[in-house]
Amino acid sequence: MSDFIRRLPVYLLLDCSGSMHGERIEAVKQGVKSLVAELKGDPQALETAYISVITFSSTAKQEAALTELMLFKEPELKASGATMFGRALSLLMDCINTEVRKSTETQKGDWRPLVFILTDGAPSDVEDFKKCAEQLKQMKVANIIACAAGADADTKYLKMITDNVLMMNSLSSGDLAQFFAWVSGSIKMTSKSIDAKPGQALELPPPPQGFQIVP
Amino acid sequence: MSRIVEAVLADGTKIPYVITENPPKGGMKYTYFSPDKSYVVQFFNESELGRDINIQDRISAIIGKYNPTISEEKGGAKGNTEKLANYFSDKYCWPYAVIVSPEFGIVCPAYPANYFFNEKSSKVYGLNLTGKDKKSNWFTSKVRKYLSDDELGNFMMMMKISISLARAIRRMHTAGLAHSDLSNNNVLIDPKTGSCVVIDIDSLVVPGLYPPEVVGTRGYIAPEVLETTVYSYGDPRRALPCIETDLHSMAVLIYEYLLTRHPLTGPKHIPDIPAEEEDFLLMGSQALFIENPDDRSNRPDNLNVTIHDLGPHIEHLFLQAFTDGLHNPKYRPTAMDWERGLVKTWDLLYPCENPECREKWFVLYDMDKPVCPFCGHRIRNTEIVKFIFKKELRGKKGQWIKYRELIVYNNIPIFSWHVYSNIFADEKAERDLMAYVVKHQEQWLLINQKISGMRSSSGNIVPAGKAILLRNGDSFRISEDENGNLIEVVIT
Repeated sequence: MSDFIRRLPVYLLLDCSGSMHGERIEAVKQGVKSLVAELKGDPQALETAYISVITFSSTAKQEAALTELMLFKEPELKASGATMFGRALSLLMDCINTEVRKSTETQKGDWRPLVFILTDGAPSDVEDFKKCAEQLKQMKVANIIACAAGADADTKYLKMITDNVLMMNSLSSGDLAQFFAWVSGSIKMTSKSIDAKPGQALELPPPPQGFQIVP
Repeated sequence: MSRIVEAVLADGTKIPYVITENPPKGGMKYTYFSPDKSYVVQFFNESELGRDINIQDRISAIIGKYNPTISEEKGGAKGNTEKLANYFSDKYCWPYAVIVSPEFGIVCPAYPANYFFNEKSSKVYGLNLTGKDKKSNWFTSKVRKYLSDDELGNFMMMMKISISLARAIRRMHTAGLAHSDLSNNNVLIDPKTGSCVVIDIDSLVVPGLYPPEVVGTRGYIAPEVLETTVYSYGDPRRALPCIETDLHSMAVLIYEYLLTRHPLTGPKHIPDIPAEEEDFLLMGSQALFIENPDDRSNRPDNLNVTIHDLGPHIEHLFLQAFTDGLHNPKYRPTAMDWERGLVKTWDLLYPCENPECREKWFVLYDMDKPVCPFCGHRIRNTEIVKFIFKKELRGKKGQWIKYRELIVYNNIPIFSWHVYSNIFADEKAERDLMAYVVKHQEQWLLINQKISGMRSSSGNIVPAGKAILLRNGDSFRISEDENGNLIEVVIT
């Protein structure tokens, strides 16, 4: 029976540049951990959600391939270097291409992936970034939610990728924890309501206090 | 990080609750617990909804004149006695008060403790379920493999849950109420004890009075509702949640409880369109029952246990619900039909002899084929005993017709609905033990506990404490009182 169950692929794109060093990267690690724990407590999410983590600093790397929740191991995250955001987007497109099952003549495809991006700065590879962001937006292969964290994050770049942009003013561990809690709420909600009406805007829970939706 | 604050109820009473970060959030509302966890307070995600006069009216009516969990005397539903109110109060989490400050909200009882997992519920490392509520797909989807065996119950417990759900929904429907969002999330089940509780009562729909707000939950939305979401709200072509759509959602839940799979999710596939669009069709206009007898294109090839194994009553109900009624709401069996069919099937349950059998019980609908469909074991250590119940035709003395059956096993209890033809096993029936059957030294005996007017086939009165020896072909009055049944014994 399980062959007929579609997966909900979830990609976390996490900024691990030098500015995230210290308390912030620890809070992100903790956030990923509680996100996974929270999702495991929801039967629909546990059955359908698959998680991957892509980090970007001076390079971009898929730290964890798309994995079912029970087998997912939190990657060891370290923060240093630049913000090769463009490269991360390019890697994301590759991963979606190879990991997400497409509908074929004989096989049911996966749900449209959910991508959550967290960054505290602006891309170091602006030209690459613009090219990839444009491509990603055109391809419409995923529902992307981008969060600009802290005063230095530039929402104008995120807007090039997606219309769903959030901003949080501080990068305190409390705010980061709230962000990950909201991400888990969004994944749970999506795993329950997919297909209600195709083509409709993605339904997400209201963002936590202190977060603004960037229009 | 949490703090205790007070809410003011409509009657001015103040009650405390604990504000926590990231409170549990549903599609419509979020929830805080009381300090002692005996009740919860719920507020709307969008607080404007709470200021909507229609919603306020509806909730007041649900708490008062539509409430089956309090007696009419105390302001509950019409005709509701204290006994019935007690019976139904653990079948629902029915809201009981309106909050007026800090904003509009409701107070509900917390779910009883058996609907929460504990530290022993998970059997795998890395999955801690302590405190999580028992949404039904923990038990009916592939994630059940992570639960400890002790949580999973058995087939009899799933039958008990199904009856309980059908009864709870029948009670709402006969009062003219539709739940409108029945789903795995809104019916919590405890297979360990065979109980269920219907929650999120506040989206109730009163036909013609209170229009529905929600479309429903994926997998449980009636096909016509999903299909017509392309029309705007208010368009006459748009189908909205109502009693008939509840009947679809409920049938899906019962199918999942009894067979641990979804009735519409099979291999049928529409290639070359995105998953979202495909499922919109496969759960909507092109929905097809995986066990449809005429169109097998959605039938998985590994169906070991099918609706046929659940006996003729349930098989018929599922065929009605998912073939005739799938796209024709008026052909769906009512909650009352479900309750009756399930109760009749309950009397065909038989304990599997195989100590390794996970389900422990199965429906023995054919005495010549006593095979457990779950483990494949054939009963061979004992003969099979059946009671055929006959009632006297009204106004035609001495003419008896068969109206139900009971598969008998060692120590089976006999209740009032087996004795009298005018009693149905519902919330009104007494549940005292009237008699029981035992196998004693290779003989089957019916031991009378408290039935008056029992007479054996040889014509002797059988008082309480005495027994009747059961032989194949015997026929006797289990009671000669008014509406007392005639029983025919079949032993193979």
